[in-house]
Amino acid sequence: MKSYYGAPLIHKPHWQWLIIVYFFLGGLSSACYVIASIARLVGGQAGRPITRVGHYMALLTLIPSPVLLILDLGRPERFLNMLRVIKLRSPMSLGTWGLIVYGGFVTLSAAIQAAEDGLLHRFGWLARLLRALPAATLGALGTLPGFFVGGYTGVLLAATAVPLWAKNALLLGPLFLASALSSGAATITLVLALARGTSGATLRRLERLDVLALLCEFALLAAAYRNLGPIIGRPLRRGKQARLLRWGVLALGIALPLALQIKSFWPYAQISRLGALLASSLALLGGFALRYTIVMAGRNSADDPEATFVFTQKSE
Amino acid sequence: MTQHLLGTTGAREGAVGFLTDTTLCIGCKACEVACKQWNQLPADGLELLGRSYDNTGDLGATTWRHVAFVEQISDSQGRRPSDLKAFQSNWLMLSDVCKHCVNAGCMEACPTGAIIRTEFDTVLIQPDICNGCGYCVPACPFGVPDFNHHDGRVFKCTLCYDRLVDNLEPACAKACPTDSIRFGPIQDLMERAVERVESLKAQGVEGARIYGDRALGGTGGMDGLNALFVLTAPPEVYNLPATPRLPQRQTFRAFASTLAFALGLGLAAAIALRGER
Repeated sequence: MKSYYGAPLIHKPHWQWLIIVYFFLGGLSSACYVIASIARLVGGQAGRPITRVGHYMALLTLIPSPVLLILDLGRPERFLNMLRVIKLRSPMSLGTWGLIVYGGFVTLSAAIQAAEDGLLHRFGWLARLLRALPAATLGALGTLPGFFVGGYTGVLLAATAVPLWAKNALLLGPLFLASALSSGAATITLVLALARGTSGATLRRLERLDVLALLCEFALLAAAYRNLGPIIGRPLRRGKQARLLRWGVLALGIALPLALQIKSFWPYAQISRLGALLASSLALLGGFALRYTIVMAGRNSADDPEATFVFTQKSE
Repeated sequence: MTQHLLGTTGAREGAVGFLTDTTLCIGCKACEVACKQWNQLPADGLELLGRSYDNTGDLGATTWRHVAFVEQISDSQGRRPSDLKAFQSNWLMLSDVCKHCVNAGCMEACPTGAIIRTEFDTVLIQPDICNGCGYCVPACPFGVPDFNHHDGRVFKCTLCYDRLVDNLEPACAKACPTDSIRFGPIQDLMERAVERVESLKAQGVEGARIYGDRALGGTGGMDGLNALFVLTAPPEVYNLPATPRLPQRQTFRAFASTLAFALGLGLAAAIALRGER
């Protein structure tokens, strides 16, 4: 198709490293929280360390998130303008509010966890108050904003004119969610595998969860790749992003951790700490590589007028 | 299929906008200059792009009118044809501008409410509110709003809001020596565009068409554009999308699919994590 001197039709966003790191950390935090809350509800004895580490890590990885988002603004001092309005069709507006609600749940749950762990003994009355709160119910309620923070970033990309993102409007949210869940499970595994006295039963549960998340991620990624077709999918088929997708995301980030962790479904298999460490590190790298690839490939796709033409051609 | 949408627009009563008739454009770039002068926009530097007479390149944060030049003289193999059509010597010019969409993607995306619809039904970025999140930039299906890296905010055509409030027409329309750019109520401009396309077709310009009605350009939930164009070639030739979509039409569906998937994932997590008390 003939284009205008190959010039881009649409403008690409300025988002780069800060936003990619936020997409990774925000998703990771939300998944840590969701896993912690679910483990508190159904995990029993083996779930306790998961709940503890999950709640702490959710808070720890959430703290840099608003900082990254504010630094990425062209006028960081005006970040409060985000709170002037709420717009239901703008994923960024919803995301701002969702992040605030989620932040409240994360802080409260981490504080309750700290009180239960005896870390707040200096503030006796506060610790007693926190311990009196219904932690499991709060955690269960918080899974909703948790899942929201994990998935809205995909919707945010989908609700643009960038062909590579918009073409996969229904898949990007679930893809980011699945990848976040894998990163969250990997984070908790990593911390617990490094800690002393972690039981094999606990690690086994986390590895199973990571396997499920990685399988979902792979299926969604394959569906999204197919759905893009040869023109719109060009940035993921040739060049730097394609190589990163193939080796960074698929081989190192999904296939290898899957191979290392699949035995966790076999009830008598030994779960080794070293294997867990390796698998979770790889899954984390893969989760980051996925965010990087999707954001950067979208920027490339915005620069490709042919992709826009294919995306907006007449359907007659 | 889209026949009944030809020449129609969802523009509200009293909306004003542009009609840019490319068949009258002589490529003088007076619109670009008038826009820069009135809005006090800095120069973009002197670069020769090798794109015919187009050395402006693109609409940007400091370029709110952009004249595109398309030379359709050689065929696809680069051969010079032996017989040229008399009409315009196949040299197409189009003064591109913000479309001030009836339903605007940039405005729906804006999380600060900086982008508003004015009393003239134009789309305006309030520079005192914009915090430079940059979300409107990829949310525009036409590539209009642009991030200014020196300033940290996003800018685009204001349809000379500061002139409209004083009953003056926008600077580009005022400066256009051939009235290729016309300013007025959208309903009048659409009537004029329909007449013009009919007249062009009667004169043998088969490719004449309106860009910005609900059939072409103002599609996919945008319900028409408040900046109309008369084209003589497919829109892609001018770097315009044929049937763009309002990106936010995806928001609800995308959230619904994410929520459905989250429920499944939550269930899977519960199964993987379950253990004895």
